[in-house]
Amino acid sequence: MDWLLAHFSTLPLLGGLPYSAQAGLAMGVYGAVVLVIVALAVMVFSLAERKVAGFMQSRYGPMYVGGWHGILQPLADGIKFLLKEDIAPAAADKLLWRAAPIAVFTGAFMGYAVIPWGPSFVGAKLDMGLFYAFATSSLVVMGIIMAGWGSNNKWSLYGAMRGAAQVISYEIPLGLAVLPVIMGAGTLNMGSIVQRQAGFLWNWNVFNPLFAISFVLYFVSAMAEVNRIPFDLPESESELVAGYHTEYTGMKFAFMMLGEYADMFLVATIATAVFLGGWWTGIPRVDHFVPAPVIFTVKAVALVFIMMWLRWTLPRLRVDQLMHLCWKIFIPIALGNLLLYGLIRSVI
Amino acid sequence: MIQRQTPAPPRAGSGVGLERDDDIARTLKSELLHINMGPQHPSTHGVLRLFITTDGEIVSSAIPYIGYLHRCAEKIAEGNTYHQYVIYTDRMDYLAAMNCNWTYCLAVEALLRAGGMKVEIPEYAEYVRVIIGELNRIASHLIAFGTYGLDLGAMTPFFHALREREVILNIFEQVCGARLMYSYYDVGGVKWDIPDEALEDIKRFCAMFERKLDEYNTLLSENTIFIERAANVGVIDAQTALAFGCTGPVLRAAGVDWDVRRHEPYSIYDRFDWKVCLGRGEKGTLGDCWDRYMVRMREMEQSWRIIVQAVDKLPARGEVMAALPKNLKAPVGELYFRAENPKGELGFYIISDGGAVPFRCKTRSPAFHNLHVLERVAPGLMISDLVATVGSLDLVLGEIDR
Amino acid sequence: MQHVHEIFDTVRSVMKGMRITFKYLGKRPVTQQYPQERWALPDRYRGFVHNDVPRCTACLLCAKVCPVDCIYIVTEGKGKDRLMTRFAIDYNKCIWCSLCTEPCPTNCITMSHDYDHALYFREKLVYEFVDEPVVPYREPKKGKAAEGEEA
Repeated sequence: MDWLLAHFSTLPLLGGLPYSAQAGLAMGVYGAVVLVIVALAVMVFSLAERKVAGFMQSRYGPMYVGGWHGILQPLADGIKFLLKEDIAPAAADKLLWRAAPIAVFTGAFMGYAVIPWGPSFVGAKLDMGLFYAFATSSLVVMGIIMAGWGSNNKWSLYGAMRGAAQVISYEIPLGLAVLPVIMGAGTLNMGSIVQRQAGFLWNWNVFNPLFAISFVLYFVSAMAEVNRIPFDLPESESELVAGYHTEYTGMKFAFMMLGEYADMFLVATIATAVFLGGWWTGIPRVDHFVPAPVIFTVKAVALVFIMMWLRWTLPRLRVDQLMHLCWKIFIPIALGNLLLYGLIRSVI
Repeated sequence: MIQRQTPAPPRAGSGVGLERDDDIARTLKSELLHINMGPQHPSTHGVLRLFITTDGEIVSSAIPYIGYLHRCAEKIAEGNTYHQYVIYTDRMDYLAAMNCNWTYCLAVEALLRAGGMKVEIPEYAEYVRVIIGELNRIASHLIAFGTYGLDLGAMTPFFHALREREVILNIFEQVCGARLMYSYYDVGGVKWDIPDEALEDIKRFCAMFERKLDEYNTLLSENTIFIERAANVGVIDAQTALAFGCTGPVLRAAGVDWDVRRHEPYSIYDRFDWKVCLGRGEKGTLGDCWDRYMVRMREMEQSWRIIVQAVDKLPARGEVMAALPKNLKAPVGELYFRAENPKGELGFYIISDGGAVPFRCKTRSPAFHNLHVLERVAPGLMISDLVATVGSLDLVLGEIDR
Repeated sequence: MQHVHEIFDTVRSVMKGMRITFKYLGKRPVTQQYPQERWALPDRYRGFVHNDVPRCTACLLCAKVCPVDCIYIVTEGKGKDRLMTRFAIDYNKCIWCSLCTEPCPTNCITMSHDYDHALYFREKLVYEFVDEPVVPYREPKKGKAAEGEEA
């Protein structure tokens, strides 16, 4: 965004505007660009997920729309969602019912403001960027609860309750997992965390043994946070029909899905920035040739692929097992990891 | 749990159902939640309706309501000749139509024999019956395996299972021309022989299947999450299973050594070398969901063994039907015959008054009896466990309702 | 220690499963793109029932054996003047059991290889095989075959 702002001040027309207006404009432009990129990414993911699922299951997945391998299927889906009748249950709490998809969507997208796609391609160089990202992404659970309660459907309510318990629980190991990295980096600014991983491959946080444990903890907790199999309890389709979005149709459902996939991409981008060296290729010489956002995106997409891969391999956990995993395994490990790293830091 | 009754639901969030009191702990009124799980629910395997009462995630009772697929099959039997009714048995357990055909034909043949008629099923036809019947057992268990994965949230095993089932269906299509409603067995034998190409396909399938079975076990049976979900869940002990009349994999998983094919051998099962698969309680308690699931997986292997042997021993192509009068009339008498179907014991109780149609044809369907143990097992399970238990019973509603 | 063991077990089983799914990611799918690709139907395939009217003797055996009574045959007159005025099959009711093909003396009723007859009205699934009354086929004599047509 700084880059945008710097450009604006040189332009003849915009340069005359007051700084706050320029900043606002830059913010708007950046926001729009990121929104479009993420929305496109989500569309690509929705197709990719179906293709990955298809090929893993010895079938093709979408094949018709767009000629080659259903390449335009997401577009067709979007049009279909637009044209679907918007049905609301008679006994729904209308306000919550309508607000829920917006909450899910907004919560997922707000985090992108602090994602460092490149050295200067950052929405806001917040000093507490990581904290902000976690804070906003937990807004999604508000949407889930609102959707579940507002639908006035028993299955939705179950989904919402599970979602609330799950997402709030898993935020703890999620936060604890990144704490050692923050301790090491001494900052919550995501750009700075990435900058510290410059240089060769082994400078990446994930290749530090303690941080590697953190990475695994973070990744698994993040999957729980974004409700992916094996942790997709809030919408577990074989138990709760479709969980908290059972009653949603048309565009509202589309927003729910959009929010979910955006959230998935968000946690992948955070993992990339914090653990996988962000925009660094790992070989200093190559760094100059490849644009930073490309490397960053490739890494994040690889993580998203792993999430898809896991989804199409594993069965789902049960509620109590999920909680067991969180409170009795992840949190102790994360705390132990934190303690160990703290001790090492204080000794060395 | 905040009260939400089915009739006239209170406006969500309006606070109806909460009564104000000074003591917060006492104001939170706790009530059981009644939910209809089904008839349209992704994991009730058809149109089963479970009326469940839950306390949070814990199910306190689950009452199965059936009859959404009732087609008066038993009454229809009274108006159809013995040959004609074979095709209705297809529609009972539509995942194992061959076995239903077979059991009915065996029952009628037994009735004819009991009345003094001579029914000599050709040797070739007997082998064909065993091969095709066991293939269908594998097909049925593949669906059970796949949908069980689906119930527990794993999608991929289902498609892998369908892929192999498709091979079997292609064989059936070559043999009898249909992919689901075969009507292949007939009273006195089978309708057609196995064409050479189909026999080749069966051999190819046998060569490939064991490897696939290993793959299924790696993908699902030995997955720790799957074991966590299925082991120690929905335990049906031997006593309960016997008391409720459970049969088939449900009974065997409880450790009861009972397989009609072994203990009351019909057809030519005594000529083959195979084992009765019992639950062993390796991963948890004897008779839990994992045992029931695993018994099916092992039975597939045993069926595979039987098929391999039967194909080896298959006599030269010959007559496929016993010589029977064209206008088949069963002698006066009544008879109950049971045979081992993939789901359990399928029995036909046929009363003949000497006419061309039976006077009464009662069906004892395995899934019907297996379903009712659910009422006993369900209390105390979580909703996810209930789904796992229902899945492990391998219900087919077409057979329950008939 | 047991916990650590369990964690490793879990990870190993997950990895094994992932290896299998990844193996299939690169393999060719087994599905067919149905309307474009179709497999060859086996000889015994039981599609829509077809009646070859010129060879039909109007013996009513197929109608009698049909368990769902979906074959309608109407004849007029007796002996030499016997005419078949209607031979219809109601595919709404037909269950493709192929029982009707077994007793047929002339093998004129057969299971065809058609399977995709999508229509907008149920009534249209009652296929009429006889437009105008025809003289049923008789074994010994030839030449009297009337102009039967197919639906």
